[in-house]
Amino acid sequence: MNGILYMAWRYLAYNRWKTSILVGSIMLIIYLPVGLNVVVEQSGQHLNARAEATPLLVGARGSPLELTLNSLYFSLDTPELTTFSEATSITGSGLAEAVPMYVRFHSRSQPIVGTSFEYFAFRELTLASGRMPALLGETVLGASAAEALGVGVGDAVVSSPETAFDLAGIYPLKMNVVGVLAPNFTSDDNAIFVDVKTTWIIEGLGHGHQDLADSAASSAVLNRTEDNIVANASIVQFNEITEDNIDSFHFHGNLDGYPLTGVIAVPKDEKSGVILMGRYLDSEANNQIVRPRDVVTELLDTILTIQQFIVAAVFIVAVATIATAALVFLLSLRLRRREIDTIGKIGGGRWHVASMLLAEIVIVLVLGGALAAGLTALTWRYGSAIIESVVMA
Amino acid sequence: MPWIATIVLVAVLTACTREAPQNAATTAAGEVNSSLTVITVNYPLAYFAERILGDHGSVSFPVPADVDPAYWSPEPAVIAEYQQADLILLNGAGYAAWVANATLPRSRLVDTTAAIRERLIPIESAVTHTHGPTGDHSHGGVAFTTWLDLSIAVEQARTILEAVVFVRPQHEADFRTAFAALESDLVELDSGLQRKSVQMGKELVVFSHPVYQYLERRYNLHGFSVHWEPDEVPEEAHWRQLQSVLQQHPATIMIWEAGPLEDTRRRLLDLGVESVVFMPGGNRPAEGDWLSLMTEGLAALDRQYKGH
Amino acid sequence: MRFHYGEGDFCLDVPSLQVASGERVAVVGPSGSGKTTLLNLIAGIARPQSGDIVTASHKLADLDDGAVRNFRIERIGLVFQEFELLEYLDVLDNVLLPYRINSSLRLDATVRQRAVSLLQSVGIGDMLDRYPDQLSQGEKQRVAVCRALLVNPPLLLADEPTGNLDPANKGRVLDILLDYATANKATLVTVTHDSDLLSRFERVIDFRDFLGQPE
Repeated sequence: MNGILYMAWRYLAYNRWKTSILVGSIMLIIYLPVGLNVVVEQSGQHLNARAEATPLLVGARGSPLELTLNSLYFSLDTPELTTFSEATSITGSGLAEAVPMYVRFHSRSQPIVGTSFEYFAFRELTLASGRMPALLGETVLGASAAEALGVGVGDAVVSSPETAFDLAGIYPLKMNVVGVLAPNFTSDDNAIFVDVKTTWIIEGLGHGHQDLADSAASSAVLNRTEDNIVANASIVQFNEITEDNIDSFHFHGNLDGYPLTGVIAVPKDEKSGVILMGRYLDSEANNQIVRPRDVVTELLDTILTIQQFIVAAVFIVAVATIATAALVFLLSLRLRRREIDTIGKIGGGRWHVASMLLAEIVIVLVLGGALAAGLTALTWRYGSAIIESVVMA
Repeated sequence: MPWIATIVLVAVLTACTREAPQNAATTAAGEVNSSLTVITVNYPLAYFAERILGDHGSVSFPVPADVDPAYWSPEPAVIAEYQQADLILLNGAGYAAWVANATLPRSRLVDTTAAIRERLIPIESAVTHTHGPTGDHSHGGVAFTTWLDLSIAVEQARTILEAVVFVRPQHEADFRTAFAALESDLVELDSGLQRKSVQMGKELVVFSHPVYQYLERRYNLHGFSVHWEPDEVPEEAHWRQLQSVLQQHPATIMIWEAGPLEDTRRRLLDLGVESVVFMPGGNRPAEGDWLSLMTEGLAALDRQYKGH
Repeated sequence: MRFHYGEGDFCLDVPSLQVASGERVAVVGPSGSGKTTLLNLIAGIARPQSGDIVTASHKLADLDDGAVRNFRIERIGLVFQEFELLEYLDVLDNVLLPYRINSSLRLDATVRQRAVSLLQSVGIGDMLDRYPDQLSQGEKQRVAVCRALLVNPPLLLADEPTGNLDPANKGRVLDILLDYATANKATLVTVTHDSDLLSRFERVIDFRDFLGQPE
């Protein structure tokens, strides 16, 4: 047996290019469907886990999938906007705790998640360093976000403009990093968490500026009456919240009308959840309530269907590849006729020769399979990180 | 369908090798067996909470003794204390502006004047600002020393009662008993002030600080406010302003937040104005408690008006 | 014995041929006369349609295919004109080839050492890790000879072992074969076209005597 394997191995090693191509082809045929299955399985597990951990989600009427992806996984496709009054209304009903979500902005590649203090306890997020945000303009980063942005406690992050050329649009706000969360291997690791009011400041709904009563701001005054001062557009607005200017920050109008991308509702109990869902049954209502678990299940069913198509395609390719490999093997047998004759003439057993040739096939299959297994293991362990680094690069 | 690729990508980005944490929905009920921690933004609320909670919890009021809680800005470490409490009692009416710029757990905030917003007193002299002729605007403020109207103080205490009963229902009986006693004290004080106001009739008063709006309204005190600090010598311009107002509004007493300087007191006497100390009690006094502070204020008015 | 390939015109008719043990014999004859076929028949690579072949006291017709292969690999050393080295094995592995292709031979450290010694004795001991495409013709044939000698065969069959070599290497390779045969009292049957070398053999068999007509 050793002689057979040795001979087979030496032949394959000598013809390394041919062997590599064959092994690579086998590896791909095996890895593609298996690796895809691992990715889909893992993705499904985590999508499901995240969805199961989020009882109910309220948002503007529109795509439940967009709402779910934005609120749970912080995708930057912003759904239709709802208002803060929904969070107030849910809290006021006594049926559920409301966690407002405003996920619209980003700092470079990391999403900025505007939410409330309750979010951290809800998701069981703990600090690795620093402290929780206490004031407007303070931020706590997920572990991966901190690493990606290369910042830590004491540093700052700046929100990215929504569009590069919209000079009158949302301008960057500098936010102080006061804490970094411990990894919890969910979307939260990639997020930059701020108070929802900070995101409103990013949007320009809230701002801080010079005191209009101050003489230094006289050039910014358009009109002044006994009880009101009208500011013009030249007024200097702060793009960083500091200890010195935080008291100047304010919001105009009623906060209930301010925008949110969604509200996570955590019902007191199942009955309260049902009652709460019933309040949104009216098809004329501006808002909808979804169960993320149901949305994700539907999504995974779709992904599964696509996966099945892909696997079928891979199967067809695999058949073609195996047929080609068989042809290559048969052709190489013809080319190796003289070698086989020599072995026979010297006294090599027929079984030996056949076994040697079979061993070459087995080794190629085993190598291809082993590489596929190794790639699958790597995919299982690092697939998400690798894809993220490729995409984010 | 490119969005499918986005979905899978998003899903892959969140993939991990261990289970995601379980949902940890927080409920207002909290841990039923642990002691309740309550933190407040001013001393009156701390007093009400202490009276109602009794032995079933602890009340924290971290404002330094020499600071006016209405204008205090806590350090982040102190805000963290607020974040950890089971209940955060707010006065409402714009009291403690720092709250609007802080990150506090909304589910644990208790606005003690939310239910009686219609009874809040707008500040007529506030200057607002707008951005552009038709742009966003800010509203003027409201007066925030709401507890000086003892009937509002009762409502604030009642809101605290309902909040603690909600989170610790097993002690409801004790809480209600304690509230009843507190309410009785507040009602008695309110009645005393009502009687005093009747006694005072149309007597005119000057308020050293514009913080007595609720006292003025509830107890029909006819007064106007200046802005004098008890521990500072008023400027001559302020004296002239006072004299000018006294000609139209001949007040006979000035109600102070704290004892004025002796020189100020004597000069006021020369103008026919007696000084009466009625501490608003926003912060904890050096001696006594909030109720004794209010009682002493009533007693001071009593002493002043016994002779009239 | 008589041997012919299928339906073709070629026919080898050898009424009788004897080679004594330890004899060094050269076989000459015109191209296509069947010299290689004769060696194949002696080695059991081909079987005659009639007649008997007794090689090293073994009647080959009595052995099945597997037994013939075993017999061949254990007792016959074969040297070919075209060397017949495996391109994907290095020099040492080519010499050790018989031990890897038949389970009747057992490869151990002693065998490896003997292979190394053989290669050293023919002057290529420093080329163990080279591949055939890195060797000269003479070096290749010396490797092939070492492969044939590794099992210490009592019978050596060499088919034009010097046919593709230059004069210096011709002599060298023949020396190796003859020295081995002499030292080990082995029988050597060599097919050769090279008349210069015939004087070194004890007997010359002229193949023209064995050509026949198919029936």
